[in-house]
Amino acid sequence: MIRLKTKLALFNLLSKLAFTALFLLVLPVIIERINLRQVDNDLVKKREKTIGLISQYGIEPFINPDSSMSFGSYNILKEEFISFEKTSIPDDLNEIEITSRVIDDEEINYRVLNYTLFVDGQKYLLGIGRSLTSIQQSKRNISSILFVFLGLIILVTFITDLQYTRIILIPLGKITDKLREISSPSKFDKNPVKTNTIDFVSLDNALRSLMDRIGEAFRKEKEITVDISHELLTPISVLRSKLENILLRDDVDPDIAVKVEESLKTLHRLQNLVNSLLMIARIESQQYLREDEFSVSALIEEITDELKPIADDKGVALKWESVNDYIFRFANRPLIFSMFYNVVNNAVKNTQSGGEIIIKCLRSGARYRVVVSDTGYGMDDEQLGHLFSRFKSRKGNGENGTGIGLAIAKSIADFHKIEINVRSAPGSGTEFSFDFPPNS
Amino acid sequence: MNVLIVEDEHSLANEIASFLKSENFLCDLAFTGREASEKIAVNLYDFILLDLGLPDYNGLDLIKEARKSGSEASFLIITARGAVEDKVKGLDLGADDYLAKPFALVELLSRINAVARRKFSIKSRDVELGEFVMEIQSRRLTCRGNVVDLTKKEFDLLLYLVLNLDKVLTRQQLYEHIWGNILDDQYDSNFIDVHIKNLRRKLNNHAPSPWLETVRGVGYKITSG
Repeated sequence: MIRLKTKLALFNLLSKLAFTALFLLVLPVIIERINLRQVDNDLVKKREKTIGLISQYGIEPFINPDSSMSFGSYNILKEEFISFEKTSIPDDLNEIEITSRVIDDEEINYRVLNYTLFVDGQKYLLGIGRSLTSIQQSKRNISSILFVFLGLIILVTFITDLQYTRIILIPLGKITDKLREISSPSKFDKNPVKTNTIDFVSLDNALRSLMDRIGEAFRKEKEITVDISHELLTPISVLRSKLENILLRDDVDPDIAVKVEESLKTLHRLQNLVNSLLMIARIESQQYLREDEFSVSALIEEITDELKPIADDKGVALKWESVNDYIFRFANRPLIFSMFYNVVNNAVKNTQSGGEIIIKCLRSGARYRVVVSDTGYGMDDEQLGHLFSRFKSRKGNGENGTGIGLAIAKSIADFHKIEINVRSAPGSGTEFSFDFPPNS
Repeated sequence: MNVLIVEDEHSLANEIASFLKSENFLCDLAFTGREASEKIAVNLYDFILLDLGLPDYNGLDLIKEARKSGSEASFLIITARGAVEDKVKGLDLGADDYLAKPFALVELLSRINAVARRKFSIKSRDVELGEFVMEIQSRRLTCRGNVVDLTKKEFDLLLYLVLNLDKVLTRQQLYEHIWGNILDDQYDSNFIDVHIKNLRRKLNNHAPSPWLETVRGVGYKITSG
């Protein structure tokens, strides 16, 4: 995985490198071409000048027409030369070539113009040469200067590209952050991200309208759950009153009383289910206030006091191991009570006689963690997977439960930004840990 | 005492009325807000049981109206809308208590009695149970002058049974009264049984307690005399 800005900068860098490499490859050829043409032009000019001199002064200043000697003149640094010799080649020459000559044990490449001309009926070969050493030298110089220069340009543009892409991608980062921070669609920041990039503006707008629609759908679903629950509670209420009135009659037959009580129990189960769903829907639609401030360890102590008689009766030990306190602010105490109550109650129910439940309240710096561990039956991975889903109870230990208690605990935790983690293995107990958000 | 039951669900209103009549209350029924408003204006009531979810009336407006017309009735709000705001609003407007649907009839009675005791400053009398004396005012149980050491929950449990003398209370009714709205998803909970067991053990350390009866398959009751 690689970041977008790095990707863009890398692409820029690579494409620049490729173009530069191509340029540097072609450049020497071009320089050589240009230089040779320049030299050739020079040579032609010199030829014209020489021809002019000959026609003005005759051939004698250069060469004795009677001898067979040839004439050759190099300048001091052997940069250039001019030569004359009689020739008997049949063709007329007017060509430019590259030859190498050894002068004073030094091999030098020359660009040479060969030209035949007739002076006084005699055919002469005129050679005008220019050393290529300086051309090659300047080619090397230009190449190395260009190499350094292009290298610098690539480096500088790479850095500015990197910075620029970083800056233009800032709004994208902000949009991503906005998405990452929210726990529910309704929490999405409705303020548009500041940018003049049309793509980001439309991305931001699209996300906002999507969040609005999802939030609305969520809200409707919660509303329906709340409404249905209310509608269900009224008939339950009617039934319950009727059954209770039967039970309160003096003349009720004991067998009928038992049946009525069984019906009440079933009705109670229905009532609990509806209330649980209602509670979850209310928590998830933020209908609870969060304005209590309380000690967490005191609250858990209340719960252990409540559950101790039940644990004692079952032969399960309820122990405190370390008790660090934490003042939880902006929370709903009854909900937090429910959360821990459900988890500790669950632990008592899933631990056999002789087992123990250990509660730890740990604090390190701003972090606070409550751990509830038991030596109970434990769970396999499959059970752990749907531990917090509604209506999936831990089966196989003879308890009749709806399994909604832990789903409630989970939604309360989410509501308070508490992180719940569960570790368990069959036969080796279960450990619930609650990480509280740091007090700000 | 005169009670007005304001509830649009007819059969629920009738059941509540039938129960309260058996407890020697005089009951009047109103199935709509308008009906209730008229009855409150004409009659004097000690208690008004008010369902907030009336089709034609905002229940809370009824309280305002009644207060304006000088009614001194105590309001007990009954609603399926258990939302926090409603509860706070209701109590702010001078409702005396609040009960969420579905509720136990005995719980309704005990709330009415509690409000009545507060309103008329009735001191609860001590109740004799065999060799034990339930001192309700000072919240303690004594046996031949010795205080029986009970936890708060055990005392509350015993007190609820005492206040509903000779009535069988189911485990659910007891649980709801003591633990209120804590949801227990284990509907076969043995909470009450464990507490009654502990309670009996403590009582029997002092003296026999045959008055605390288990009604098989139904629940528990305390018999008088």
